[in-house]
Amino acid sequence: MTSLIATLDPGSRAATRGLSDIAIRNLFVIPTIVFLIIFNIFPLLYSLGYSFTDFRASTKDPANFIGLKNYMDLLSDPNIWSNFTITAQYVIVSVTGQVIVGFGLALLLNRSFPLKGLVTTLLLLPMMLSMAVVGLFWKLLYDPNFGIINYALGLGKFEWLANPKFALYAVALTDVWMWSPFVMLLSLAGLSAVPKHLYEAASIDRASRLYTFFRITLPLVAPILLIAIIFRTMEAFKTFDLAYVMTSQPTTEVVSIRLYKMAFQEWQTGKSCALAYIVLIMVLCITNVYVKYLNKAKER
Amino acid sequence: MRIATKGMLAGLSLLLMSGTSALSTELTIFWAEWDPANYLQELVNQYEAETGVTVTVETTPWSDFQTKAFTEFNAQGSAYDLIVGDSQWLGAASEAGHYVDLTDFVKENGVLDKMAPATVKFYSEYPGNSGKYWSIPAEGDAVGWSYRKDWFEDPTEMANFKAKYGYDLAPPTNWQQLIDIAEFFYRPDQNRYGVAIYTDNSYDAMAMGFENALFSYGGELGDASTYKVDGIINSPKAVAALDAYRKLYGFTPPGWAKTFFVENNQAITENLAAMSMNYFAFFPALINESSNPNAKNTGFFANPAGPDGDQYAALGGQGISVVSYSQNKEEAMKFLKWFIQDDTQQKWADLGGYTCSAKVLESEAFRNATPYNEAFYQTMFKVKDFWAVPEYAELLTQLNQRLYPSIVGGEGSSQDVLDGLAADWKATFAKYGRGM
Amino acid sequence: MAVVSSRGQRLSNRVAIAAILVITLVFLAPIYWIGSTAFKPRSLATTSPPTIVYQPEISPMVKLFTKRVQLKPNEKVDYDNAPWWERMIFDGGERISRTGKGAIQLSGYPDRFINSLIVAVTSTLLAVGMGTITAYGFSRFRVKGEADWLFFILSTRMLPPIVVAIPMFLMYRAAGLNDSHVGLILLYTAFNVSFAVWLMKGFIDEIPKEYEEAALVDGYTRLQAFWKIVLPEAATGIAATAVFCFITAWNEYAFALILTNKKAQTAPPFIPSQIGSGLPDWTVIAAGTVLFLLPVAIFTFLLRNHLLRGMSFGAIRK
Repeated sequence: MTSLIATLDPGSRAATRGLSDIAIRNLFVIPTIVFLIIFNIFPLLYSLGYSFTDFRASTKDPANFIGLKNYMDLLSDPNIWSNFTITAQYVIVSVTGQVIVGFGLALLLNRSFPLKGLVTTLLLLPMMLSMAVVGLFWKLLYDPNFGIINYALGLGKFEWLANPKFALYAVALTDVWMWSPFVMLLSLAGLSAVPKHLYEAASIDRASRLYTFFRITLPLVAPILLIAIIFRTMEAFKTFDLAYVMTSQPTTEVVSIRLYKMAFQEWQTGKSCALAYIVLIMVLCITNVYVKYLNKAKER
Repeated sequence: MRIATKGMLAGLSLLLMSGTSALSTELTIFWAEWDPANYLQELVNQYEAETGVTVTVETTPWSDFQTKAFTEFNAQGSAYDLIVGDSQWLGAASEAGHYVDLTDFVKENGVLDKMAPATVKFYSEYPGNSGKYWSIPAEGDAVGWSYRKDWFEDPTEMANFKAKYGYDLAPPTNWQQLIDIAEFFYRPDQNRYGVAIYTDNSYDAMAMGFENALFSYGGELGDASTYKVDGIINSPKAVAALDAYRKLYGFTPPGWAKTFFVENNQAITENLAAMSMNYFAFFPALINESSNPNAKNTGFFANPAGPDGDQYAALGGQGISVVSYSQNKEEAMKFLKWFIQDDTQQKWADLGGYTCSAKVLESEAFRNATPYNEAFYQTMFKVKDFWAVPEYAELLTQLNQRLYPSIVGGEGSSQDVLDGLAADWKATFAKYGRGM
Repeated sequence: MAVVSSRGQRLSNRVAIAAILVITLVFLAPIYWIGSTAFKPRSLATTSPPTIVYQPEISPMVKLFTKRVQLKPNEKVDYDNAPWWERMIFDGGERISRTGKGAIQLSGYPDRFINSLIVAVTSTLLAVGMGTITAYGFSRFRVKGEADWLFFILSTRMLPPIVVAIPMFLMYRAAGLNDSHVGLILLYTAFNVSFAVWLMKGFIDEIPKEYEEAALVDGYTRLQAFWKIVLPEAATGIAATAVFCFITAWNEYAFALILTNKKAQTAPPFIPSQIGSGLPDWTVIAAGTVLFLLPVAIFTFLLRNHLLRGMSFGAIRK
């Protein structure tokens, strides 16, 4: 076995000195994996098991096995589908917004100017706050009576959060404010790694700016941008605090809010576990697609 | 020497901290973060002075209170010895065995005679009329109204009002007047609005708000013993009540779509509304000149009567219960015995707690202590509450899903909305085998 | 030709910098508003129209650190003999709550702040440490099903935290970890390790293997090569990872609320709780927020130069 690894891995000449490479690999990789398995396997199995029962954590009644009933009930409940539609809208709007604002900011920042480090740090401030606090304060900022936003923009009594059609976008806007800096930071890292000579070559060829952007900049930054999108999509899909704190419109009830109410107000533990699994499977599928794209983008 | 022993003991108990140590007697009471909890801490400090037992009041934000408490209960956690829990929890907490049965305690210590009858009925007894008790009424509360005296007493306003509605402008005595006055003061161009009501549907806020209309209009949520809801929650009286609440929503300030006690108090302090519904427990902030610039001009009235003269209000407030998983149950019982004593209740009221003690409530001193105590006293004898069954939260969700779009979004007729709600509730009760 | 182009470039540079300034100001406006609320007298926090110019006060900070109750009408206080900070509380229509022995009671904030520091710093160190060595393991050695393991590591971040809260609570109770610093530290480490592995792997992938090869030839052991060659090269990535782990652990709310009671509670659930008495004291919430923002902001500022280079995820190949 050792020799197999040694022949496969060119870097293992040291296998005979100190700890063997396999030992080091095991020492470095296995504890983390085991740690993550321990932390996730019990909650996952617990949720999976109870998702097939009518268990309610708040009562002493035993859990009865009811097969796929929870899943069937959930998937045939129009309210749940509307929760998912709202979540999808939210994810699309807020992630798109973050990518546009974040990437745009990165393009602007990708040059040297005085106090660049300070400006970058200041731009990161929003993501250093806790979601609950951001929600509380943005609710205040949006307030039609004493909010600063309407006052500064001269919007009078415009109702950002009380308008059922607009509330979700208002929440998404807050999310964009909070998390564009994250996309910005990653994009900036990507941009600064694009070799300068490529641009020089393009300018000699008198390529248009648009051409340079789409043919050189974007393909090279794409992988890292995709990573930013993966993390932001995952988080946006799970979003809870912002929407929960800021509004209570039926049109902003994202799936996490429904899940929270089901699990912690109604204590329908079994059913909420089933819903959680549906969410998990959806996120897994979406992420998988992204990761495939990511690997393709890296190959290019 | 003594100090050294004490230090060693303290060290030892720290070592044994895993279970709430048996060596030191320490009680923990869990409640939400608000002024009454601070008053309670001050009250129990006196208990410590008298008995040497340390009592700590632990708090968490209101929005997380239910979550935190039931997570702890469901895992049979012993972190809390006593809990000042919401009245709707009685069903869930007693049926699951989270609360210690206090029936004997209540009977032996004459709690029934000491506390106002409505408070025992709603904070302690479950199921209704069963004679089984699970808590001691601790903080009485119900919904009342505050209003702007200066706006009401302005001579021009009074004359204009009389000319328009044909009667004198004064705190409303019935819901029709309430609606008239709200309409009268609704003047968006002057940045002045009629009324502030509860609309938050994330938990029980909107339900509590609507109940004030429902009960005063003579409506009911359903039959508490048979769980029949069809024909009751969608009765003509209930429909009229929902119509009234929807009308009121039309006279609220802009952005009034997720409002509860905070926003409703702000409606008064920030000169937004002429009248505002709120729990009595939040009124102290309105007579404090530092937090309410209009403190001198703020008046209070009880929830007005409906068209047939019925007058009720939605119940708030909490009873104090012993947690079954506590390791200090005996100490907790001793504490409760001290808590129900007349002079403890008197001190509780003096500190700012809303006592449920009938004797204290009826006393002149209490009723004149603040501008709203009289309204509170009257209200506490005519309160009604939401369902207290273990699945109350599902009933709440269904109510929120039906009512919110109709109140805030103006969708559907009140009859259709309540018919839908009756069907939802019927299905939920059937699911849990109630009233079959 | 060249001159024209550089002039055009200079112009576009200026426009870009002007745009950056404007956008930065817009981004900072809400933060400025929170910051300014933290020094307002309570009566000016919510006014219509909003108050922009005012006399700053320190009273929100004093309130933040003390446990207070409202003064009842006609309640007498010993105003004249009170220290300046207590007078501020009296001026706000409140008094500081006292213990049975008459000592002033502090609010939960200072204790929770310290707990937050303990938990966030330790878990960040652990997550970054574990993330770095695991990333190195994945980067330099063959691991069977490497892609699947990496996806598994990523997937541990996908489940909505609300869902695992109940089983997690039960697990912690069984293990005696609830309401302990260790419990929160382990949890946040688990939370952050996935991000740390992903970030660090990209970074270590970019460090040429030849560096270590040379060291191994020179007689270093693999561990020495890792310690002396790879780690210093990876410092930038480590710094960036640390910033992100710290931010996440510092602000975590849901588990902090559910898993801790008195001993190990962190600050995030405390800050919004100032809504208590029926009128939110926005100034205190803002003060709590501002103080709580300082450690992360300083930490990030100190590591700012690493941050940019550190965030590449190995996605850009040289």
